[in-house]
Amino acid sequence: MNYYLRRTARIPLTVLAVATLSFGLIRLLPGGPFTQLRLQLIRQGVPVEQVNARIEALQNIRPDAPLWQQYLDYLIGVVQLDFGQSISLNQPVAEVVARALPWTVFLVVTSTLLMFAGGVIIGAVQAYWEGSTFDKLASSGSILVMAVPYFIFAVIFLFFLAFQLQLFPTGNAAARDIEAGISLDYFASVIHHAILPIAAFTIGGIGSTALSMRGNGIQVLGQEYVEVARLRGLGDGRIATRYVAQNAILPMYTGLLLLIGFRLGGTVVLEQIFSYPGLGYYLIAAVNANDYPLMMGCFLVITVTLVVAVTIADLTYSFIDPRISTGDADGY
Amino acid sequence: MATETDSSSEEGVDWRSDASAEEMTRRERYGEFYRRMVREPAIIAWSDLRTRVGIIILSVYLLMAALDVFGLWRNPSPNQAPRLLPPFQNWAFPLGTTQSGVDLFALIVDSTPFILLMVLAGGVWATTLAVMVGTVSGYKGGSVDTAITSVSDFFMAIPGLPLVIVLAITFSPENPILLGVILTINYWAGLGRSIRSQVLSIREESYVEASRTMGSSTFRIIVKDVLPNIMPYVMVNFVFAARYTIFASVGLYFIGVLPYTGQNWGVTLNNAYNQGGLFTMQALHWLLVPIVAIVGLALGLILVSQGMDRIFNPRVRTRLSGESESIEGEDDTTAPPGGMV
Amino acid sequence: MSTDTNTDSTRPTATDETTEPDTVVDDPVLEIRDANVTYSDGDTYVLEDVTVDIDRHEVLGIVGESGSGKSMFASALMDAVPDPGLLTGGIRYHPPDGETVDVLELSDEELRKFRWEQISMVFQGAMSSFNPTMEIGTHFTETLKSHDKHVSEGMEFARELLENLYLEPERVLNSYPHELSGGMQQRALIALSMVLDPEVLVMDEPTAALDLLMQRSILGLLEELRDEYDLTIIFITHDLPLVASLADRMAIIYAFQFAEIGERDAIIGDSAHPYTRALLNATPNLDAPLEEMQPIEGEGPAPVNVPSGCRYHPRCPLATEECRTVDPPFAPIDEASDHRTACHHWEEAREEIPLNFGEDAPDAASVDSPRPAAGSTVEDRAVAAGDQALLSLDDIEVHFEEQQGLLDRFRGDPDVVQAVDGIDLDIHEQDLVCLLGESGCGKTTLGKTMIGLQRPTGGTIEYRGHDIWEAKDGNADIPYDEVRQALQIIHQDPGSSLNPNRRIVDILSEPLHHTHPNIGRAERRSRMHSLLERVGMTPAGDFLDRYPHQLSGGEKQRVALARALLMNPDAILADEAISAVDVSLRIEIMDLMLELQSEFHTSFLFISHDLSNARYFAEHGDGRIAVMYLGEIVEIGSAERLIHDPRHPYTEVLRWATPNLDLDAMEADDPPIRDIDVPDPVDPPSGCRFHTRCPVAREACTRDDPELLDVDGGDGKAACFREDPDHEYWESEPLEGAVEHPEEFAER
Repeated sequence: MNYYLRRTARIPLTVLAVATLSFGLIRLLPGGPFTQLRLQLIRQGVPVEQVNARIEALQNIRPDAPLWQQYLDYLIGVVQLDFGQSISLNQPVAEVVARALPWTVFLVVTSTLLMFAGGVIIGAVQAYWEGSTFDKLASSGSILVMAVPYFIFAVIFLFFLAFQLQLFPTGNAAARDIEAGISLDYFASVIHHAILPIAAFTIGGIGSTALSMRGNGIQVLGQEYVEVARLRGLGDGRIATRYVAQNAILPMYTGLLLLIGFRLGGTVVLEQIFSYPGLGYYLIAAVNANDYPLMMGCFLVITVTLVVAVTIADLTYSFIDPRISTGDADGY
Repeated sequence: MATETDSSSEEGVDWRSDASAEEMTRRERYGEFYRRMVREPAIIAWSDLRTRVGIIILSVYLLMAALDVFGLWRNPSPNQAPRLLPPFQNWAFPLGTTQSGVDLFALIVDSTPFILLMVLAGGVWATTLAVMVGTVSGYKGGSVDTAITSVSDFFMAIPGLPLVIVLAITFSPENPILLGVILTINYWAGLGRSIRSQVLSIREESYVEASRTMGSSTFRIIVKDVLPNIMPYVMVNFVFAARYTIFASVGLYFIGVLPYTGQNWGVTLNNAYNQGGLFTMQALHWLLVPIVAIVGLALGLILVSQGMDRIFNPRVRTRLSGESESIEGEDDTTAPPGGMV
Repeated sequence: MSTDTNTDSTRPTATDETTEPDTVVDDPVLEIRDANVTYSDGDTYVLEDVTVDIDRHEVLGIVGESGSGKSMFASALMDAVPDPGLLTGGIRYHPPDGETVDVLELSDEELRKFRWEQISMVFQGAMSSFNPTMEIGTHFTETLKSHDKHVSEGMEFARELLENLYLEPERVLNSYPHELSGGMQQRALIALSMVLDPEVLVMDEPTAALDLLMQRSILGLLEELRDEYDLTIIFITHDLPLVASLADRMAIIYAFQFAEIGERDAIIGDSAHPYTRALLNATPNLDAPLEEMQPIEGEGPAPVNVPSGCRYHPRCPLATEECRTVDPPFAPIDEASDHRTACHHWEEAREEIPLNFGEDAPDAASVDSPRPAAGSTVEDRAVAAGDQALLSLDDIEVHFEEQQGLLDRFRGDPDVVQAVDGIDLDIHEQDLVCLLGESGCGKTTLGKTMIGLQRPTGGTIEYRGHDIWEAKDGNADIPYDEVRQALQIIHQDPGSSLNPNRRIVDILSEPLHHTHPNIGRAERRSRMHSLLERVGMTPAGDFLDRYPHQLSGGEKQRVALARALLMNPDAILADEAISAVDVSLRIEIMDLMLELQSEFHTSFLFISHDLSNARYFAEHGDGRIAVMYLGEIVEIGSAERLIHDPRHPYTEVLRWATPNLDLDAMEADDPPIRDIDVPDPVDPPSGCRFHTRCPVAREACTRDDPELLDVDGGDGKAACFREDPDHEYWESEPLEGAVEHPEEFAER
């Protein structure tokens, strides 16, 4: 079968598998999924005999139906983008998730791009001046940075820059008093709020990126085609970009596929520390409030985001590297 | 194998005779084992500055674990000391105390065995599974490969931490080993895929084909021919998996989604953070001590991993143990095949 | 060949011959004076006191073994010595018009322009000379742009060059390097080096990675390019007979210095340096009597410990005390010639070291005298063994699904490569068969199928009458282990044939683990010990505890041979097993394999692309050579018959491609084929698969595939319609470009 079709067809399959997994896990939870909701409804004064009906209305699932029926109802809901009603926020989960998703994607994409660019530049400079003082310092720095988890950077930034020096806000994605919209003030506020989380997340990954770029760069610089290009009289700029950079960066692309998963998962801790209203923040909020519908919704959406991201990266890889012909990016 | 040619060759050829038999005593054999497996790797590891520093750092953690296991330091408890004592002021409480007057050093020491066990469990689980999955699917190929690859693709598609959070709520793991396994529950998938792609190229090496030709079993080929070649990579990734375990556990303790009894580094960090550590300079050490403990352990592991390449490299091994030099010009990979004429 | 200005020139009386030695060259394009390349602050010389002139429009062949400094010489000509090497001396370049350029005095920008516009270079590995992630065409355009040339005019010229090199310009320019075969890449690289129309082309081992036929074809093309574009070519190689066919003059480099230089004919026929003579004698060629081929003992020195006096004296049979102490000057042999050599005793050398080919050869007749008919001995043995073949291949077919390119993935069906197609072959006890053919002809696939490593997609293969693959699936009355033990392999690349992480003792324990699982440690060790000594590795005890990286290439192949023998095999597949070994050692290892064959009663399947190696094997071991083309055996027979009476036109082509040192027949003529490249095995030609390249193909050849038929008046079989005097072939029209008789092709 056609490779691209096959690869794309895997998305719904994976999503289905993850949906099933989260459905199953939730059922293993202490007290079952709806204990909390049932208690809450009763506390709100809903008559006991109507509780199940209310739950059904809110969550698309009949609590007294057989498991397979619940499962089917759940899947049908997911397909219709209906993840039920959040118990703690009293809003449809889909709405909450739709609001949160862009912030998470914004954080991950920006910081990953910055991390990649920064690591590549540092590593390239190191490779070019292999053995120089800068190379040695940068290598030691990279190793040191690799030993520090990103959330430690987050805490340190928060402590010094936000709390002590009060240069940056300590939470939220934008100032509350500025209306969301296409205005300069709003963008400035968004960036002001995002700088610390993005910085923490970027620095945390820059060390390993720089180290692998350094290794690849040194290897490519020793290749004969670089020497031949020099003899052919090509300019340094062209050799640096089309020859060295391109061939050194390509092998790192597959590593990026794996990295996306770790970074997307990492937002959970990051957003919690900065009270940044992304998917991770709501996931933790749901966990703390025993808000299972919201929890499942966040989990599912984070997973789908990852699946889509990995598929995109996988599919574009063969366009970027002409040598890949099997289509199976075996590098990772 | 009782073929005609077989029997005839047995008589005519002298290589079957025991002319130059040299017996080795049991003692010599143990000596040789010690030399190959312990002494040589140790010499190589120690010869590299980074690895040496890493080993020293890790030894400190082992010492701390020993302090706790043998009960050589007090257990942490509230009001055992003055509140918020700064570090290096009172040598009874070398790292200072918390707001509730708990000895910070006692806090760190107390949870060291727990953390080390968890890190080991996470690293061992993730790498062992990844090696098994990667070597088998890479070496066997075919439908075995397709099946394993599909499963690991699925696990790769789930972001780690959110899954761990859901699992942690479900299973409430408090045992360090179980916790280590849950934290790296899908870490093996990505690692397994990259090991697989390495095995795919090793499988094509002539010496693997030679072993296949001799009729060696798949298991034997994987153990003898494939594994030694990916060992440096596996060891480096063992360290990365261990590092991930520390980071993930501390991160999740820190945001308070992992169940715990008593304190550990992540919980201490959480307490310091939430009970005013962020707002005053007086409490800074409360925040910094667990951070240093975490970073130190990760740093020690990474430094040790930097020398893995050398430990498993036979060239380094022969050079450092003073055996005969490599053949001249062997490194000259650009030399044309065919040599002269 | 081109006119040789040097021969006719009269040599002016030179007052100081050592500093102005090359006055015989009257129009030098490059003058190199006392060129030195040093490392480690001048302590280590990798090129020492080289003084030579290069004549305009000549082809200078430079021969040296790996690590002799010959590549350094190439780099020095472009002032491109790799860091931190230091180049001193003088290199002057005389353009056809304009002022003389002192290359070492050029500024960076001038040097950038000078390279590729005046002198350009072709490297050995075309694959590693191209940026793998850039199309070939971009390499051309960026070169033109960075030299401020008109791009579309330049690309016109590039297309012309590519066409002259028998390539399809558009296809090649739009391809990525990995999409072309090795031969195509190398030719594209030659075009790239000429795109700025340089005066001088320096070629450093430009064909070493290719098989013989492609090497010789490229040499033929170079000759044409040289004439058409007035090039001066400096051709650097380790392969003496190869460059002999192209060169006007030849130089021999030994241990970072020139050992001898002179007219090609003088170097081949009347060489003065003992090293040159030894090299010539170590060259396997089809005309020399086998007994005369002699390996050179020892190895060339490393730069850090160059011997005092004459550098060659430790290996020289004529070395005297003078040689050990006094460095011989690189001086002309006599007043009237430009033949120079660095030897105290060149006159003795000419007498004491006879050449084993040409007029000096003692008695070339021994080759022609019929040996005991090779084929019949095999038959005899087959009868003795109860008429059952050791291995029997019946209509074997191996088809692969090809990995698909990017665009193919949008289409449906994968391409199927027909690597091996319909082969019948019997291997007897103690048989010896050489599979001969170009790369991509399926010889390795067939070899691996023969020893049960590759499952055929069609046909059957039987070991002593039992189907191997049935046995593997457990459906035969013979345990698969027995089959596995009986059929072993020795690989081409000594670097990867031994696990780098295991000591020799562990590597050799592996076969014993299978054949003698219950013997003790001491016995195991002693068995390995005595076998290692038998394969020439003494003292064996030393070698047992080493890692493979502590062995030389030849020693690794000996270990691989020992490993195979420890299995007590009935047949060993040697897949190009000597082509990566130094030539001086090849004969020794081939002899060892032949000796062990009779000692161990095994059969050998020997794979090669080199007819002279195959011949050595087949003739010494009384075996057969099977010539393969595109997955089929086109001719099979004794080496004797194949070389002196080839019946298939393709065998003749391979014979043409085999180096020889016969001065009358060595001109680099056009290959006797109509197309240089092998057709795509995904879609092989109809009828006879060779008809697209065959010099004598006719219309009938495009329709039917000829069968292997017994050869009239000789042993073996051939698959060509020309073998059948009544075939309709003789009535049909020759194809475009084809001729009546093979002999006419070269004169066309």
